[in-house]
Amino acid sequence: MKILVAEDDSDTAGFISRGLDEIGHNVLLANDGLDALHLLSTEQIDVAILDRMLPQLDGISIIRRARAAGIEVPTLVLTALGRIEDRVLGLEAGADDYLVKPFAFSELAARVTALGRRKPLHQDQNRLQHGELVLDLLKRQVFRGDTPILLQAREFRILEELMREEGKVVTRTMLLERVWNYHFDPQTNIVDTHISRLRSKLNEGGKPDLIETVRGVGYRMADHA
Amino acid sequence: MPRRRSSAAYRIAFTSLGAMLIGLALLGTIVFFAMHFAFTRQLDATIAGEAQTLVDEYRSDGGRELGEGIAEREASTSPQRLMYAVFAPDGRRLYGHLQTVRPPLGVHNLQFVDPSEGSDAGRGLGIDLSRGERLLVAADSEWVERIDATLMELFGIAFLVLCLLGFAGALVLAKYLQRRLQTISGTAEAIIGGDIRERMPVGSRNDEFDQVAATLNRMLDRIEGLLENLRQVSSDVAHDLRTPLARLRNRLERGAAEDPRQAIDDAIVQVDEVLSLFAAILRIAEVEAGQTRRFFETVNLSELATELAESFAPSVQDEQRTLLWSIEPGVRVEGDRELLAQAFVNLLENAQRHTPPGTIIRIALVEGNGRSCFTVRDDGPGVPKSDLPRLTRRFARVESSRRTPGYGLGLSLVEAVAKLHGGRLLLRNEKPGFSATVELPRGIAAPEPTAGTELASAEH
Repeated sequence: MKILVAEDDSDTAGFISRGLDEIGHNVLLANDGLDALHLLSTEQIDVAILDRMLPQLDGISIIRRARAAGIEVPTLVLTALGRIEDRVLGLEAGADDYLVKPFAFSELAARVTALGRRKPLHQDQNRLQHGELVLDLLKRQVFRGDTPILLQAREFRILEELMREEGKVVTRTMLLERVWNYHFDPQTNIVDTHISRLRSKLNEGGKPDLIETVRGVGYRMADHA
Repeated sequence: MPRRRSSAAYRIAFTSLGAMLIGLALLGTIVFFAMHFAFTRQLDATIAGEAQTLVDEYRSDGGRELGEGIAEREASTSPQRLMYAVFAPDGRRLYGHLQTVRPPLGVHNLQFVDPSEGSDAGRGLGIDLSRGERLLVAADSEWVERIDATLMELFGIAFLVLCLLGFAGALVLAKYLQRRLQTISGTAEAIIGGDIRERMPVGSRNDEFDQVAATLNRMLDRIEGLLENLRQVSSDVAHDLRTPLARLRNRLERGAAEDPRQAIDDAIVQVDEVLSLFAAILRIAEVEAGQTRRFFETVNLSELATELAESFAPSVQDEQRTLLWSIEPGVRVEGDRELLAQAFVNLLENAQRHTPPGTIIRIALVEGNGRSCFTVRDDGPGVPKSDLPRLTRRFARVESSRRTPGYGLGLSLVEAVAKLHGGRLLLRNEKPGFSATVELPRGIAAPEPTAGTELASAEH
């Protein structure tokens, strides 16, 4: 993917662009807001990573102006502030995701990947499939092969998120945000307990594990199914 | 103090004085003319009545009798004496002693010669008799003029007196306004000078100035609170971040010599800890500053609490404790969903962290008297009574919990969130166990700057 990184701190910019480059992305760097807006409007960009505070034009203003000009590139806003106010303003301006500095690179990578593939996904898709596992979004039913699996509402939502990402990593914080709508870190890891329950329900009867744990990052649907 | 020319107090005082004087002048003019016309009309009516009587006499008895009637009337000594004359068509006076020329018909002003005063003004009525003779009945209009003059004089004096009184009053009023305002600006100067604890004096009359002073005082309380908050945050950061950073430094120093890889991994974990501590401090400061209140919406607390209980029950169970809940449906408040969720999670985590395995933790959400109460109660060992007031202080950790993880920021965040929503955090020792309740008003209420955490103990 072609990814725009607008970040004025050269260390952070280098850290992000090296990392993205290593996992096979094509990175464009901008170190001020106007430059970023210029690149957004002239290049075919798949995902934009914008710092909240940039010289010339801050991240939120870039999104506002880009959206006003009809540029619908998915954007992720980085911020060192992490204030509620910033998140709300960012999302109101049309940011698609939001990450507070400092962050683990794996977290950023997972979110960027998720953003990049958001477009081709049908919003009205009502059936997700992964190997023999089928999730019916309308009837709220899950089948592994012919066996129906009874899931709790939140377990269902977690599975749905994992299956929507089609084998890409979904981090713990992404699950907390999407399933629980928590933008803070509860010290007790409710994600892990839910995953372990979901996993045991899916794999009942000694079937191969469908959920793979990516250590220190999150979870994804296992390949072998 | 502004100079007189630019002083609003003087401007207000003199503008109102000016308005009063214009009003008085207008009133005087209206009264003057109304009186003048009323008296003139009265005079006219008297003249018309007398003329009618004379005309009637003339009709019945003829010219000679009229002459006698006039002579008789002229001889009378009544003070409201009228004057008479009958003129021939050629202007000759036939009867009466009124010295004037042949008058026009109808009511009119006229000039006549008063034997004692000379030429004088009067009011007369001319009526035609038969054969072109014309009767004139007239009255001296002197008394109307006298009344006019008296009125003018009265109003003139009133105007002068009001001018003087008003001017003096305006000066006094302006001085008073300036003095009241000066106490306020004086106090403000003192605060600018450096003493934020200075407050505006508030009188007992509770007038506008007292109200402004009281409002300013509340604003100052708020500012002082924010400053105190800021001071607190910086001192927290200075003192309490030093400990984990020192540990980190030691770890790296040792690692450089021994096992660098392991040291780096450990260091990352410790840096993350410092960062999350930092984030917690900033979050508390943000909540205490109250800026997030503009993102308030209606939050369904029942849903929030149920979701929380259901989500945490498995992990609580994994740690050999039991989570029970009883949640009233349909409880709603105006607030920030995210912060409320975080506050509830913190309470739950506290209960989980500071109790022994086998503890039963109960969550309750009830509503009553316009307030919603979210309570997390455990049947664990409770908290020593002497430690209760310290619990919500930042980094406060009671001695018994030194070995459990956490930085003691949980309850201060909960308290900050409760206050942001106009509510409070109540901590109680139950027998047995400990309970923490977040009490919230249903609607948005500005947080009371004086409302603190209420610390209660069930111990007697």
